[in-house]
Amino acid sequence: MSDRMPRASGYFRTGYAQEMALTKTRLERASLFVFVVLLLAFPYFASAFYLDLANQVFLAAIGALSLMLLTGYAGQVSLGHAGLLAAGAFTAGILYKEINAPIYLTIPAAAVTGAVLGVIFGLPSLRLRGLYLAVSTLALHFIVVYLGGEYETKRGFSTGITIDAPVIAGFRLYGGKIWYFILLTFAAGTLLICVNLLRSRTGRAWRAIHSHETVAEALGISIAGYKLLAFVISSAMAAVAGALFAYYRSFVSVEAFSLFLSIQYVAMIIIGGMGSLLGALLGAVFVTLFPYLIEAALMKLPNAQSYAGLLFAVNYAAFGVVMILFLVFEPQGLVGIWRRIQTYFLLWPFKHKPVAGARK
Amino acid sequence: MAELAIDRLTLRFGGLVVLDGVSFSVEAGELLALIGPNGAGKTSVFNCISGIYHGDGAIRFRGQDIRGKAPHQIARLGVARTFQHGELFPHMTVIENLLTGRHARIRTNPLAEMLFLPSVKREEVRQREAVERIIDFVELERYRHTPVGGLPFGTQKIIGFARALALEPAILLLDEPSAGLNREEREDLARFILRIKHELKIAMIWIEHDMQMVADLADRIHVLDYGRTLASGPAESVLKDERVVAAYLGTGKKT
Repeated sequence: MSDRMPRASGYFRTGYAQEMALTKTRLERASLFVFVVLLLAFPYFASAFYLDLANQVFLAAIGALSLMLLTGYAGQVSLGHAGLLAAGAFTAGILYKEINAPIYLTIPAAAVTGAVLGVIFGLPSLRLRGLYLAVSTLALHFIVVYLGGEYETKRGFSTGITIDAPVIAGFRLYGGKIWYFILLTFAAGTLLICVNLLRSRTGRAWRAIHSHETVAEALGISIAGYKLLAFVISSAMAAVAGALFAYYRSFVSVEAFSLFLSIQYVAMIIIGGMGSLLGALLGAVFVTLFPYLIEAALMKLPNAQSYAGLLFAVNYAAFGVVMILFLVFEPQGLVGIWRRIQTYFLLWPFKHKPVAGARK
Repeated sequence: MAELAIDRLTLRFGGLVVLDGVSFSVEAGELLALIGPNGAGKTSVFNCISGIYHGDGAIRFRGQDIRGKAPHQIARLGVARTFQHGELFPHMTVIENLLTGRHARIRTNPLAEMLFLPSVKREEVRQREAVERIIDFVELERYRHTPVGGLPFGTQKIIGFARALALEPAILLLDEPSAGLNREEREDLARFILRIKHELKIAMIWIEHDMQMVADLADRIHVLDYGRTLASGPAESVLKDERVVAAYLGTGKKT
């Protein structure tokens, strides 16, 4: 979390609280301000298509951040992320259909459902590790999707549950622009919660468990407690993302939560860069936009229409190739590339880092 | 009352007897060296004390039997330890490693941490001040913000030592703190150990192979060989004991 290299000269800190601040220099504050202004201005210039892309990115970002907490920081591998999104989406959908619950109840309810599921599928993590744990989380995915499917058939929504645009105080939450701001708020809130957890006791405990369980325990960290906490917090966030997804699409169906979705989330944190929140965000952007890029590239080719049927296959294949390329050539992911560029400019005109005090 | 008293501690892995009726105790401000050839069971004693292994017999911390408690509960009582190879958290900075060492002393709950409430911030600043005092004590100021994975091994050992100290322990278990240190680092370590003993009055159990250091610093020595107590007492007499010399250096006689 802390700076690995001095970012600016002439900024002297006079208290430890200043080192905990999220933005430390005037330049950082200024660039953050500009970035926020751009984000807020975006929907007023963007077309409906780009607005939808941005919203998808925000949803993916919430999911990726929550998975990064669990896998990238606490070190618990999970392939059940799509199951948690589904659980959130179905909680919102079912509560809406059955008792017409308003959005300000269904979203917290989704978080609670996620948290409860987090405890349940966190329990195997007390015994299992790595691949074995991943397989046990896979079970959760199938259970949730099965239950969702049962609900759909039993209640006669065999094509899925439709949800009307929610109304808060007479105001109808409908359209890409409104949802842009809602999803942006939730994504920013999730990011802030993650950052805060990671700069305090809980985050340190997770990272400690990730590198040495026995040592962490000998330092007074309750392994079981913090593993479960990681699952609970991560799952609650993912379920909220699922519920938001349901409202944004006005539709819930088990088809949306395939195993491929779980793999996409894992891909986001790998491509973005393990153990970095920025990595989760970059990964979410990349994996969400990637299929659209491929499609655009394919359509540029001569005789484009004749390949249209191949689009699906090409997409999957390209996705696989990109994953492999990242694992082989850039294990640190997009964030590694980003850091290298940053270092280049920080050191310019020199090429090498100073030897002592500022490694990596 | 002794800070830590071990009474007839026995540990078996299947048919292998690792520890066989080991008894000793250590007082506040006392430096007890635990020595013995490789495989004598020294680290196993530590693992029993910190709850990683479960042996038979009694382990009393200030009169309270801690046998059967989970490692994190024992740590919270104030039993801190270092590890043979440092075992630091490589991606975390020195400060973060030490703050993790203070885990048991920090009282913030995850909900407040999510929002980084002013109470959390105040607590973090307070903890940081405590960590800075330890960094000052072990003279690691220049590495404060460096991820420890890239630091020299000797420095890492000192950080591991500092991390155990960060817990504000009543008892410090030192597992070969000097292994892998050069001459200068050993002298620093000896100085730190003596300062802890005299200024902080912490009871220390110290596994060590450097007999010169042991002879110079230890108040008492307890010798293990194949899980049994071979000798126990003040440094001068124990190091002259024939059986100890035989176990360590071998004798000229054919057995």
